Amino acid sequence: MALVEPNPNPSFLEKLQSIPKPVIYGILLVVSTIPLFFSVKLPNKPIDASIDFYAQTMKLPDGCKVILCSDWTNSTRGESKGEMEALLKLLMRKHIKFVLLSIGDTQAPQVAKDTIREVSASEVASGGTPYKEFEDYVNLGYYAAAEGTILAINNKVLSIAKGKKDFPEGAGPKDALLSPVFQGIKSVSDFNMFFLVTASGTNRTILERITKCPLMYMVSGVMVPENTSYYASGQLKGLCGGVKGVYDLETIMEAGINNPGPDLIESDKYKGESIPGWKGKTNKGKGTAYYLALHFTLALLILAVVIGNVGMFAAKRRAK
Amino acid sequence: MNLLAQVDPKTFWNATNGSSELFIKLALALIFGIALATGLMFAPPQLRKWVVRVVTFVSGLFYVLFWLFPAPISRQPNDAPRGTVEALSFFISDSQSVVASLTNVIAGFLIGLGIYSLLRVHLGKIAKQQKDWFFSAVLVISMFLMIFFGYGDYIQRQDPKNFVLADMKNWGWINYGRDLLFDGLLQNMDAGMFSVVAFYIMSAAYRAFRARSIEATILLVTALVVMLSLMGVVELMWSGMIDKISPDNPIVQSFKLSAVSSWLRSNVQTPAIRGIDFGVGIGLMAMGLRLWLSLEKTGGDS
Repeated sequence: MALVEPNPNPSFLEKLQSIPKPVIYGILLVVSTIPLFFSVKLPNKPIDASIDFYAQTMKLPDGCKVILCSDWTNSTRGESKGEMEALLKLLMRKHIKFVLLSIGDTQAPQVAKDTIREVSASEVASGGTPYKEFEDYVNLGYYAAAEGTILAINNKVLSIAKGKKDFPEGAGPKDALLSPVFQGIKSVSDFNMFFLVTASGTNRTILERITKCPLMYMVSGVMVPENTSYYASGQLKGLCGGVKGVYDLETIMEAGINNPGPDLIESDKYKGESIPGWKGKTNKGKGTAYYLALHFTLALLILAVVIGNVGMFAAKRRAK
Repeated sequence: MNLLAQVDPKTFWNATNGSSELFIKLALALIFGIALATGLMFAPPQLRKWVVRVVTFVSGLFYVLFWLFPAPISRQPNDAPRGTVEALSFFISDSQSVVASLTNVIAGFLIGLGIYSLLRVHLGKIAKQQKDWFFSAVLVISMFLMIFFGYGDYIQRQDPKNFVLADMKNWGWINYGRDLLFDGLLQNMDAGMFSVVAFYIMSAAYRAFRARSIEATILLVTALVVMLSLMGVVELMWSGMIDKISPDNPIVQSFKLSAVSSWLRSNVQTPAIRGIDFGVGIGLMAMGLRLWLSLEKTGGDS
């Protein structure tokens, strides 16, 4: 490729392709931070994957049991925490009991436990019932051997809880298998759904090994393309990805699907069905809080790419 | 409530609580373990290589058989195998959860090994006052502080009398210490480290994302469309414009940002990712075979 000789007297347009890094960093800092101070309800059209995620969760029978694999830590809390909070709100409102485990990171169980505590408190504040460890969910903690553990879940689910203790606060250690969550469970197919909230490669570990229970994933934005191929093939019943996915869920939680009203969200897939929302509850969360910042940051990214290209073309033109 | 759900069917890997069979199995396992460890300690290096190869092969063989050997279908808890094939099939199926527990235990040892290795390297550095020994000191002190406060907080919270700790007002210095170290520092540094990526992405996109060739231009336009489709405001304005032009024409309607990005995801991105995945999968299979058969020498014993 021919190199363009640097011009000693560059024009304004040519200068656009060499903005100093500190300036770019400074603009990004300002643009991504200021919107966080404003709560603005932006228009949104939820994508099919998010609609499926909400619809399939809402179709779970009230009081049923699911598995929740939480493999995120605070490094991706901007996306993953919002996803986890939205999912927990739905599970708690439908009184769905869940088995909590982690295969991705040793910090993940504590981070998940803290989030459950926060969401439970916020649901209680808006008229819900508290979610208690051991009674409403059982925490199996972290498993170092991800592949073998997930295979064991599919093969013989109770074996992974054997000898495990749950540590509900102020109650002392208890045998995980004695939790009401495990009562009546013989096989993984007795769970109605396997949810995964992840920001790491555990998505494939689970997808390749869990065959007896439907799967739904909540992943970080960069993982969406990879997981879309599994959603498209029907291996995932629903997919929630990144801040956009969280905002989609929060939007649907407010309006429902095919539910007549001012904020109607239509879905051809669920034509003839009306899936209710949760109006009056605290549906807004991290998605609503961060979507404006995502808008501004994406706009800045697009602008940066355009400016860089304009500068490049200006320099090329002059060189000719 | 089915309280009998947890009662295991009888397999090779279990026995009734308190039965002589259980104690015999435990004793045999202990003797076998001690014999194996002792044997390995005194084995000549050449033999050790073969031990590693055989263990690797047998471990791999188990999972190969697990996936490829006919699995039992509709097996009931008290079913007895009919013939050798079914007996092997039952054995493999029953053993998998035991193998998974074993791998979890072995992986657990890595924590001890990690701490030992970390202390060996960094205490040595501190003792010899080598370059950047101060950072090693910070690391070692942080580790011990985290262990001290983390374990102290955990022990307090497990005490049934301490259920009041759910309320911050009742916290003591050890609870505040753990909160400061784990939630206040570690978790926020974790988030801070990852946030730095945004600055690199922005800088890299500005400097490198240029329409220098046809391929780069296609990539650029595609990325812009997908990014714009994530912006609800732009999406709404664009859709409104399309609806104004022709609300009923399906061809015009298919130029809505959501439709274009959805088409790109389904027809361009997904097949491309599947193609890459196929390639990666085949490569992994080849690498797996080499590791299983101990043909891979890199970083090994050669």
